[in-house]
Amino acid sequence: MAHAMTVPESGHAPRPRKAPMPPVLRAFLWAAIGFLLLNTFVIAVDPFRGHPFVTGPSVVFGWVGAAIGWLLGIGLYDAVLLPLMGFPTRWQERQQGWRRYWEFATDHKVIGLQYMMFAVGGFLIAGGIAMLMRYELMTPYLTIFHYPSNYLTAVGIHGTLMMFSFATVFMIGGLGNYFVPLMIGARETVLSKLSGIGVWLVPVGILTVLFSPLLGEWSTGWRGYEPLAGQDANGILFYYLGVLALTMSSLIVALNLVATVMFRRAPGLTWGRLPLFVWGQVTVNLLMLIWFPEIQTTFVMALLDKVVPLNFFTATGSPLTYLMLFWLFGHPEVYIIAVPAFAIWNEIIPVMAQKSLFGRQWAVIGLVFVMMLSGLVWAHHMFTNLRNSEILPFSFFTEMISIPTGFAYMSAIGTLWKSKVRLNTPMLWILMSMFNFLIGGLTGVFLADPIVNLQLHDTFWVVGHFHYTIIGSMVFSGFGAIYYWLPKLSGRTFNETWGKTLAIITFLAFNLTFSQFFLLGLHGMNRWVPAYPAYLQPMNFEVSIFAFILGAAFLGNILYIGYCWRNGAQAGENPWGAKTPEWFTSSPAPRYNFPVQPEIVGSLYLYGEGTKVPVVTTALGELAATSRATQDPQFDWHDYAPDGGGVTS
Amino acid sequence: MGENVVFAVLWVVFSVLGEIGDRVIIRHNPMYYIVSNQGQLALQAFNFLLVVLTPVFVFVVLFLVFTMVRFTTKRGEMPPANKRFAIDNKAFVLVWVGGSIALNLLFFLHPTTSAMEQMFALDQPAANTHDLVVDVTARQWQWIFSYPQYGLTQTLTPNGQNLLELPVNVPVKFVLRSYDPYHTYDQYADVIHSFWVPAFGIKEDVIPGETRYEYLTPTAITSYAVNPMVRVQCAEVCGPGHPWMESPLAVVSDQQFAQWVKAQKALANG
Amino acid sequence: MEYESPKDEKTPNTENSEENQWSRRQFLVGTAAIGVAGAVTLFGRQSLVNAARSVFGSPVSSGTVHLYAYDYYYIPNYMTWRVGDRMEVIFQNQSHTHWHEWTMGRHVNEAYFQAFGNLPADAWQEDFWDGVPVTLSDPYGIDNFVPNQAIVTYVGPKAAYNIQSGGDFSPTLKPGGSLHLSFTVPNKPGLWDFGCFVQQYIHYRTGMRGQVMILPA
Ligand code: HEM
Ligand SMILES: [Cu+2]
Ligand SMILES: [Cu+2]
Ligand SMILES: [Cu+2]
Repeated sequence: MAHAMTVPESGHAPRPRKAPMPPVLRAFLWAAIGFLLLNTFVIAVDPFRGHPFVTGPSVVFGWVGAAIGWLLGIGLYDAVLLPLMGFPTRWQERQQGWRRYWEFATDHKVIGLQYMMFAVGGFLIAGGIAMLMRYELMTPYLTIFHYPSNYLTAVGIHGTLMMFSFATVFMIGGLGNYFVPLMIGARETVLSKLSGIGVWLVPVGILTVLFSPLLGEWSTGWRGYEPLAGQDANGILFYYLGVLALTMSSLIVALNLVATVMFRRAPGLTWGRLPLFVWGQVTVNLLMLIWFPEIQTTFVMALLDKVVPLNFFTATGSPLTYLMLFWLFGHPEVYIIAVPAFAIWNEIIPVMAQKSLFGRQWAVIGLVFVMMLSGLVWAHHMFTNLRNSEILPFSFFTEMISIPTGFAYMSAIGTLWKSKVRLNTPMLWILMSMFNFLIGGLTGVFLADPIVNLQLHDTFWVVGHFHYTIIGSMVFSGFGAIYYWLPKLSGRTFNETWGKTLAIITFLAFNLTFSQFFLLGLHGMNRWVPAYPAYLQPMNFEVSIFAFILGAAFLGNILYIGYCWRNGAQAGENPWGAKTPEWFTSSPAPRYNFPVQPEIVGSLYLYGEGTKVPVVTTALGELAATSRATQDPQFDWHDYAPDGGGVTS
Repeated sequence: MGENVVFAVLWVVFSVLGEIGDRVIIRHNPMYYIVSNQGQLALQAFNFLLVVLTPVFVFVVLFLVFTMVRFTTKRGEMPPANKRFAIDNKAFVLVWVGGSIALNLLFFLHPTTSAMEQMFALDQPAANTHDLVVDVTARQWQWIFSYPQYGLTQTLTPNGQNLLELPVNVPVKFVLRSYDPYHTYDQYADVIHSFWVPAFGIKEDVIPGETRYEYLTPTAITSYAVNPMVRVQCAEVCGPGHPWMESPLAVVSDQQFAQWVKAQKALANG
Repeated sequence: MEYESPKDEKTPNTENSEENQWSRRQFLVGTAAIGVAGAVTLFGRQSLVNAARSVFGSPVSSGTVHLYAYDYYYIPNYMTWRVGDRMEVIFQNQSHTHWHEWTMGRHVNEAYFQAFGNLPADAWQEDFWDGVPVTLSDPYGIDNFVPNQAIVTYVGPKAAYNIQSGGDFSPTLKPGGSLHLSFTVPNKPGLWDFGCFVQQYIHYRTGMRGQVMILPA
């Protein structure tokens, strides 16, 4: 393991000092101070009848104060602002140890892991809430949720956290931050400080949404439909603000990754050679850069509607405006979640089969066309409230989008055909993901047909459909990717029997749970109901049992991966025989990734006779990255690197 | 060559089995219980999609299973490396891309456009000259039904619940509005609801500030007691009362309907 | 995370020496404490309040008392009165969007609901205000007022109260409305419920309710 060099700050002698406060605690403290300052100020200038200490306007300003305090406390102050203003700072980037994951960092690998860590936290919280929801739905009357508004708030928190703090974050902020620079042979990202700050907006967003019930229950679910949202208690303010923080974080990721791919590709890594996973990330990053500002603007307007109050969306006669603006973002959002998964399929399959990727250009074209069409289909979520004359065009584009989506399948099938593939755990997850997404996609064809949609819209058919697409694509491929890259992330590997057993249990539990959602929907089960007619109980009861097994299976996988991360068997440097650049450095990669700048000299997806190793590092680099590092614990690649290892600051 | 043939044969066999399964499903009505002409359109479209998509589903699933059975190495073995691999196959790409375009164009023409044209035709004023008109008012959190042609402003069950009753085989024009007739001072008083009778196979949102129409003909005498899908249910979340925003519904014969109207009138007048 | 060998911990390097690190114990204890505090505020408030009330009792309110209606809850949702005290309850609707009422009694009736059988909340079997003399004043934004069996004195023009009949004693306020109710606590000791039954009783069903404990004189 590389023992990285630390560059002592020149100029000031290390003075004796008492141990600093853990940054996370300092961030909490500063956030509390920020909240109190601004909230009290607003209450003083804008009191409300009865003088409550917290009102809608005061809590919005207080939240802004808390968010700023949190970011300053976590590192914005001493790692960014002080140096920026030319003041001395005690901050030094930590190079190793667990502590660096709990403070401000600029290494994209640390940031990537922070994103994954927070995303998994969001997944566990939202998943726990899903278990409570399923418990409630075991009976046709209210049980653990005393009031329907509690249940509806739970549905809203579940959906919001799953979408904005997990589905959008794990693959892009997490895997994207970690692997995009490695896969393009870059040694760091372009906006590394901004990125290091941005990741700390994720816990802000998760906690904000989670604690929204403190301000009152909200009933809209994750879509925040107006004019209902205008009636909800102040809890909905924390939905807007939490999503604002989470989307801001993801926006920073998108900006950083697009800039990095544009400016930091290794020599020889042309756009034509760009790894598929990176193509997937770039296309969704562009979608995020286009649509996240749009939804943020919409949410700010909805927030102002509520606290000022204004009438952007709540005025009589204009309730569809908000719906349009929401889905204008909302449909691209589902592709933001799914496209990285398609890219992962065709990243892992050629490696496991040691067979050239079939129709690479089609796989890429598919991703890009999905990205472009995704902005043309939003109103398929509105067939029940759209003008009749607008239904057919949106139905047309919706049906057409399945064509480029199919290209991901075409490439995968072409590659696997007559191959000899290793059916190991990552591969199994990928095949399962292809199966699940197939069901998600085919049930979507029914929904794209307006006459059928008018019956199935807002029923459990839709709930089944989107869980199949989201979990099928992003969660199953995400597990595949983590098992695939575990040796890279931790230098360790897992046990095939355990890995496969867990995968199969998850697959069965998932399908037994969600396939029945389709039947429930056809049988008249509508969404957002904690109480329903009694004839639907038997199936709901049984679905809940499978849902609990599914929850346990997800938890089991996460725990097992965590266990292997620390205690798994030592993995080889390139255990799968992959050709993409991330495998041409030690595992985990050192700070600045590669001993020397690697060069790409061939296609990353060609295997078999006459193909060459596509990544070239100098002989010195090869030596440094692999053999020396594993033998000499004091080894530091900076010592070997001609330019001092790219340490510039 | 061997694999291609085996795969093709299996695909055909399983597709046929799948189609037989579809027949069984269709016989048992995949939408469980549908009793309106509009719902019949939805059901036909659903069945058509089911039948056409079955071979697609079988193709991909069979391929995934085939891969696991035929295209794998033994555990712990590396794939053989000394081969050249096709990275393109014009015929396969052409069939795939052309096929998916053709399939989606087909779906757009039928059932999408054809069914929508039928629905729009049902909605034409010319086709609706002798409709029964029912004003449906959605307010948080109840449905209020009135029959302007009969001078009934709010029809109720003996329990005091709002009740929708319709004669069988008579075209109905629903006039959908969302507002609170008792609290007109409040411009924010109401929200988007969705008027859904599961057994009619259609829902339309009810939007404050808009008047919307829905046309259909109930095709069987039935009621909530016969099948619980025969109920008016709000399908768009509208606040804490959303789960309870529902109403009983009965489809009756012409004579029974006439009697019911008389009884409701008597109730309203005294 | 990355495996950290014990050897690393001992290297005499400023960065790695424990003294200059932030404390692991502080970090764990601090975040755990914040987590527990968070969980208690989310789930445990009502239980804490109930426990405190059963241990310490709750102070008797008399004189002028504010009762605020929000969507869909009251502040306060628990009060203690004493028989014979003079009270002035200022009932105020803080909602921007919904009208709310204040009814008080015992034992809710059940309402028939077709898909769901019977559900609670229709009206009180016993109306607290039956036979109670009460003076209403300062009406503002009154949606309607039902006196039922109470003995009501109206201050100012009656039209402002929009008096209706049917149902329990219930002042209903428009968003932002308010009303003063002055009365002497009648000799009806024990625990009474209050609640808001508007909009198909959904306010009550979604938690718009509270209790008054009336102590004997
Ligand atoms: C752990 C297994 C899961 C279970 C058992 C589960 C269950 C549910 C249930 C019962 C609903 C409520 C449906 C309704 O009444 O409208 C729901 C809604 C939802 N779920 Fe899940 N879910 C799970 C995982 C996920 C995941 C992984 C995601 C996304 C990454 C997700 C995203 C959503 C969304 C967006 C909604 C809609 C919320 C709304 O209506 O506002 N769920 N889920
Ligand atoms: Cu969409
Ligand atoms: Cu509704
Ligand atoms: Cu109320």
